[in-house]
Amino acid sequence: MDIYLPIAEVSVNWAVLVMLGALVGFVSGLFGIGGGFLMAPVLVFLGIPPTVAVASQASHVVASSTSGVIRYSGQGAVDYRMGGIMAVGGAIGAFAGVEVFRWLRLLGQADLVVALSYLLFLGSIGCLMLYESLTEILRQRRGEPQTRKDRRRPMWLYGLPFKLRFPRSGLYISVIPPIGLGILVGVLSAIMGVGGGFILVPAMLYVLRMKAGVVVGTSLFQIIITTAITTVLQAGRNQTVDIVLSMILVVGGVVGAQIGARFAGKFRAEELRAALGLIVLLVGMQMGLDLFVRPSDLFLFAPGISDG
Amino acid sequence: MIPIPPPPPAIIAPAVEPRVAAPERSVDTASDLRIAAALTDARVRVDSGFSGATIVLYGAVFNPGDQPTDVVVVVRGPDAPVRLVKKTRNMGVWLNSRPVLFEGAPGFYMTASTRPLSDIADFGQLRRLGVGVDHLRIDAPEETRTVTRYGVRDVVVSRLGEDYLDWRRAVIRLREAAALYNTDPAGVSFVDRGLFRAEVELPTTAPTGIYNAEVWLFQDGDPVSVSNLTLTVEKVGFERNVYEFAHRQPWLYGLMCVLLAAMTGYLASRLFRRF
Repeated sequence: MDIYLPIAEVSVNWAVLVMLGALVGFVSGLFGIGGGFLMAPVLVFLGIPPTVAVASQASHVVASSTSGVIRYSGQGAVDYRMGGIMAVGGAIGAFAGVEVFRWLRLLGQADLVVALSYLLFLGSIGCLMLYESLTEILRQRRGEPQTRKDRRRPMWLYGLPFKLRFPRSGLYISVIPPIGLGILVGVLSAIMGVGGGFILVPAMLYVLRMKAGVVVGTSLFQIIITTAITTVLQAGRNQTVDIVLSMILVVGGVVGAQIGARFAGKFRAEELRAALGLIVLLVGMQMGLDLFVRPSDLFLFAPGISDG
Repeated sequence: MIPIPPPPPAIIAPAVEPRVAAPERSVDTASDLRIAAALTDARVRVDSGFSGATIVLYGAVFNPGDQPTDVVVVVRGPDAPVRLVKKTRNMGVWLNSRPVLFEGAPGFYMTASTRPLSDIADFGQLRRLGVGVDHLRIDAPEETRTVTRYGVRDVVVSRLGEDYLDWRRAVIRLREAAALYNTDPAGVSFVDRGLFRAEVELPTTAPTGIYNAEVWLFQDGDPVSVSNLTLTVEKVGFERNVYEFAHRQPWLYGLMCVLLAAMTGYLASRLFRRF
């Protein structure tokens, strides 16, 4: 059952990897996120070097997102124009992120930045999602009428130039916020090895105020492009993509993603958001805990010496 | 019948000067204490089924006298630079220090011996020969110097003093935890008088490259004889092709990974639509 991975240079149980891919794929299809933030910690736990784990799982995200986008596209729930514009930002961000990551590894601070980003981004977004969805669920339980949502759009966001129409999202806004969001997600995708769906989805909902129906499909579309670029960059610049590892994860992932997308229709949106918020918060806390717990060994190897 | 003597040869061949090996060995084995060793497999092939390897090293001690002798096997893998950071606590948060670069530490190091190394030879002798994990030469420049690499200033290349020992010990401890460094004080066993064997355990994380094995024979704390062997660990077949492709044409390789992943995603969604 063990297979030797040529780039990671370790031997792992492939059945465990297929299961992991399927599980993360399921979560990804269910919530419309890449699921990278779940997979990277598990891969590292299995003994795969963190740099290889981060780079190789990106192609798993590509596969499960492709499969997801095709599904959502059939329902007309992908705004290609919005996704494409965000992907332009994503590409810029990915280029910058891969270079920043190289520099951080050289400084030996990559761990710290990864842990901090996980704690900061996952923690805050998890809290927000959990709070928002729980109040919504409580309100429904009590049978209170739906509060009028504040549809007033922030002036600073909508007063910007280069306006474009996004019919599918029901928006007429400047291209600057989507590009800016794309850049942020691109940087995170390179540093944290994640697609960035957990940031994109809430940002598209609450900041850009896109139609809820197209948010998941569009974020997946943007994620495909950003992670595809990240994968090529990581392979070209750092040689840390393990094709055997990523294909094993992909096979499990695409099956899981299909099942997940099927299940997604069976739950209420706010229930899904509450569950996702909880998962995001837990992972963020787990990663952040490393900053405060005394490490078992004060010394550790810093990766990134092959070209030192 | 009187045998007819053979006719004298027309040309008498000049006596062949004895070359090096054969007579020398017979002389040596006849009197001196000497060691010889070999590996059952001098090439370790790393393929998709690779899950570590065990190589048997066997050898013989010629002319063991009444004096007891000890055998020490040292196997070291290819050197590679190592970067190490130390976690320090700043305002309740554990942060990494600046990395320290050790310019060459073997990627694999093991010793196997008949007795604990400290019983076989004294500290100075072991240090001089570089035998034993405590006497491992991890190349580090004599004084602290900082250099600029990739635009990062003040990369500490080495730091000597008592601090340095802590760092050095940490390299060894971490490598031991990964089964890359190993000390087995009872790893060499005598099968018969003068005939011994030892096992070299390579974990899956063992680096590829050329390994050197030294087989030392000690008597009264002094090295008497040594035998040097080499061991090659290399990727073969599919593993090798993937590795070389990923390093020779990294951009094409990356592109292929992405296309393969996207294709799989597409195929899966087509397949599932039927159900």
